Amino acid sequence: MGGVEAEERYEVNHQQYQHGLTRRELLRWMATSAGVVCVGPLSGCSSLWERQPVIPVEAWHKGVCRFCGTGCGIQIGVRGGRVVDVKGDEYAHNKGRLCIKGVLNRDILYTQDRALHPLIRRDGELQQATWDEAMTLIARRFREAIDRFGPHSVAFYGSGQLFTQESYTANKLFKAGIGTNNVEGNPRLCMASAAAGYVSVFGMDEPLGCYEDIDAADCFFVTGSNMAECHPVLWERILDRKRSQPGTFIIVVDPRRTMTARHADLHLDILPGTDVALFNAMIYEFILQGFVDTDMVEHYLTFREGTRTRTYADLRRHVAQYTPERVADICGVSARQISEAAFRFASSKATMSLWTMGLNQQSQGTAANRLVMALHLLTGQIGQPGATPFSLTGQPNAGGGVRDTGALAHALPNGRIVTSPKDRHEMEDLWGVPRGRISAKPGYHAVALFEAMERGDVKCCLVMCTNPAQSLPNVERHRRAMRKAFLVVADAFHPTETTQLADVVLPAALWTEKEGVFSQSERRYHLVPKLVDPPGEARSDLKILVEMADRLGYGALISARNPREVWEEWRQISAHSKYDFSGITYVRLQKERGLLWPCPSEDHPGTCRRYVPGEDPLARGKGRFDFYGRPNGRVVIWLHEQEQPKDPTTDAFPLVLTTGRVLEHWHTMTITGRLEALTGIHPNFLEIHPQDAALLGIKEGEEVVVRSRRGQADFIARLTDTIRPGLVFATFHSARHLVNRATNDVYDPFSKQPEYKLCAVLIDRKR
Amino acid sequence: MPHVMLFAFDLERGLPAQQGLSAAEWIRGVGITAALVAILTLLLVELLYRHRLRRETYNWLLLLGLLVLPAIALMSTATTVFEETKTVGSCASCHVMDPFVNDMKNPTSASLAARHYRNKWIADHQCYSCHTTYGAHGTLAAKRDGFRHWLLYVTETWTEPIQYSGTYPNSNCLACHANTRKFAAVRSHGVLAPDLASDRVSCVTCHGPPHPVPSERQSPRANR
Repeated sequence: MGGVEAEERYEVNHQQYQHGLTRRELLRWMATSAGVVCVGPLSGCSSLWERQPVIPVEAWHKGVCRFCGTGCGIQIGVRGGRVVDVKGDEYAHNKGRLCIKGVLNRDILYTQDRALHPLIRRDGELQQATWDEAMTLIARRFREAIDRFGPHSVAFYGSGQLFTQESYTANKLFKAGIGTNNVEGNPRLCMASAAAGYVSVFGMDEPLGCYEDIDAADCFFVTGSNMAECHPVLWERILDRKRSQPGTFIIVVDPRRTMTARHADLHLDILPGTDVALFNAMIYEFILQGFVDTDMVEHYLTFREGTRTRTYADLRRHVAQYTPERVADICGVSARQISEAAFRFASSKATMSLWTMGLNQQSQGTAANRLVMALHLLTGQIGQPGATPFSLTGQPNAGGGVRDTGALAHALPNGRIVTSPKDRHEMEDLWGVPRGRISAKPGYHAVALFEAMERGDVKCCLVMCTNPAQSLPNVERHRRAMRKAFLVVADAFHPTETTQLADVVLPAALWTEKEGVFSQSERRYHLVPKLVDPPGEARSDLKILVEMADRLGYGALISARNPREVWEEWRQISAHSKYDFSGITYVRLQKERGLLWPCPSEDHPGTCRRYVPGEDPLARGKGRFDFYGRPNGRVVIWLHEQEQPKDPTTDAFPLVLTTGRVLEHWHTMTITGRLEALTGIHPNFLEIHPQDAALLGIKEGEEVVVRSRRGQADFIARLTDTIRPGLVFATFHSARHLVNRATNDVYDPFSKQPEYKLCAVLIDRKR
Repeated sequence: MPHVMLFAFDLERGLPAQQGLSAAEWIRGVGITAALVAILTLLLVELLYRHRLRRETYNWLLLLGLLVLPAIALMSTATTVFEETKTVGSCASCHVMDPFVNDMKNPTSASLAARHYRNKWIADHQCYSCHTTYGAHGTLAAKRDGFRHWLLYVTETWTEPIQYSGTYPNSNCLACHANTRKFAAVRSHGVLAPDLASDRVSCVTCHGPPHPVPSERQSPRANR
């Protein structure tokens, strides 16, 4: 075949097939199509090689959850100047776990109703104003009040959600600048009884143990805490312990069969407010069953009742009347359950108690706290891995921000108190103000502060990052007080129940729109970084306080003016106390997943168990403990009697109302109520036992009115046998179904914490 | 699809009893038989019967011994490899996986993997079951991941601590859990349903960690 001929044939073939595909081409297309069909759904080229994230992120930053006192470490994903994703931090104590609220941190900055501009009330209406107008007005009104009525006519009402730097600065401005101790905050409603308990027993505030104790405990005594809903990530850690060691015993004391109680090996559904009797009965059983640690009694304990010194023999006599049989009647549980609880508590290798509002929010809150600590001290269940009393905080920074900075009416930084001349002088020297500047008169505690506003004694109040017009007990009364005073409210959201009563609303930055330090339940200081800009004209609370100080003429006193400077000042002040965290530098906070104090030097790793020589750098000697918070090294066992209810049930008010929370919402729903994902969760219900409902003719889903001696609120009836007959339950989340219209503002005599957990009510069908 | 069948056991009665040969074992047997028959055929044809056979028969037998039977053996080998890489042992053959496999088999570990393993919530192929999404693409992606892991391992180019790439698909968890009464009883699951379906919120965020976190595991490089 010649070359020309071959060429001609090619031409012919080519022409013949040019309108279609060659066989080879067809096969190639088929193979390619098959390949595309296989890999097509794995969109994007990179996904051909590895899986891709559903939410693309430019950079991840370590931070801390905005919500509860667990203080979970999180990784925050930012893209285009916005927070777009959040995940648990594997390197933090929570090992990457978060609850539903933690996950939803990614949406909190972008909800509706963010406060964007300052507002000033003019002609009864809140109207937009400039920052200068708002701050000028605030400074003028505060200055007028101070000049005309004295420094005690102004007040600060803060929050366990402010950063440490903010609470510290407010405390310094009011106490060392203006010269009033009217510095209060919502931790009084939350943790005051625990703080009073620790201080009166150990001589120092804050828990002894840490979260690691959960991994070593064999018995958990969860009393007055619905951890599964309110501290879910810590609760999972407890369940992990049980999963690893199935013999782990969980005792839950709660009047309701909560999500927590459903996992308990032993559930004591005691009547609200009978904790003191229960704990006394447990001490009775310890003595009877021979579980009292004589070494503790001989070397580390001292006994007291009121102002009188007592002995161990007195304790024995004191609890003799609290036999399980008798207490069974008081608490509404069986004597056998009480004995079993005492036996399990004392006989386990390591028992950890956990509690929160269930103990704290009672008129005997401090007593209950002291007695839980006594259970541990008497049995020696303390200071060993897994053996510790451990209170849980409800807010992300009530401990470090408010309790440790002393931003409460009776307190000064690092455990000092205003009534002690020595403590005042120390702080005056450290703050560089003349001796005598800090008032010796304690300020108004929370309930008293709003009563003082009602009387007209407090003329101006700056409220920051909290919503007292919903969260205070007997709230209608205190709302009237807030209307009367010149009320400045700095909040990230408007409207809230409180901003609606304000004379000036200041838009505040939220969470990662500002930078600061939080401290959670186990004394861990950790940093929240600033990652995005606040919306509108919103500013950080620290900036607001600094400007207020400038305008009131205390600019020189408030010399630390940004988060880093304030932290450095505060860290160095702590070195002059036994709350020493001077080793927690800003650089360490930026680098590490927080540190537990005491941490007295920059190379110290932080402390898990306090008062234990070898573990606590401040503990001296070689004994089991060095209780250095107490002058004689002996901690106090307090003798307390069970008291009668302050708001007893009668024929007119036959049921007991108790309050609490649900997993998905937080506090007054200022944030969570605005999250789109949570719109389907309605905390509008009143739990009532079917037996009570039948007697009252109430059906499931029916509208009911709860009436107390103080006020009333509407709810939707939810019939459930998880609650005791005679008891009803509502959450304090909803502003529309506002249980705090009915709750009682009677408070604990020591901690001044109000009694949210029980009051007498009448339930009616809504007509 | 075999991994779909994997989840079809009745929880009430426990795991299904193994009955007869599995498909994988059957295919493996066929492959071995094909290979042996091919060798035997070629030997016999070449050494003994070459001159006694008709040319046509000889060609057919060569075709059988050189092409058809080896093709069957090759398919069987590929299938066996595909099946074999589903086993825990296969994953454990790279030391990078030691901390994960050891934790999974640790009777006191509280990790999700360990709990699923010791409680026999997953009958077999425990690694593969959770790391393969349903459907052909899921299988493809899993094999691709396995190949990538193997490549990183043999070239020693992986970075410690190793991390899960991308977003873990919730469908792997929901396949078993979504239709349970216990799952439906949790309010949070209801409100997060769209986010769970789109993987914007991961199941393991609340219910993890699935494996030991980096601080709890030792890099296998440290052992060498």
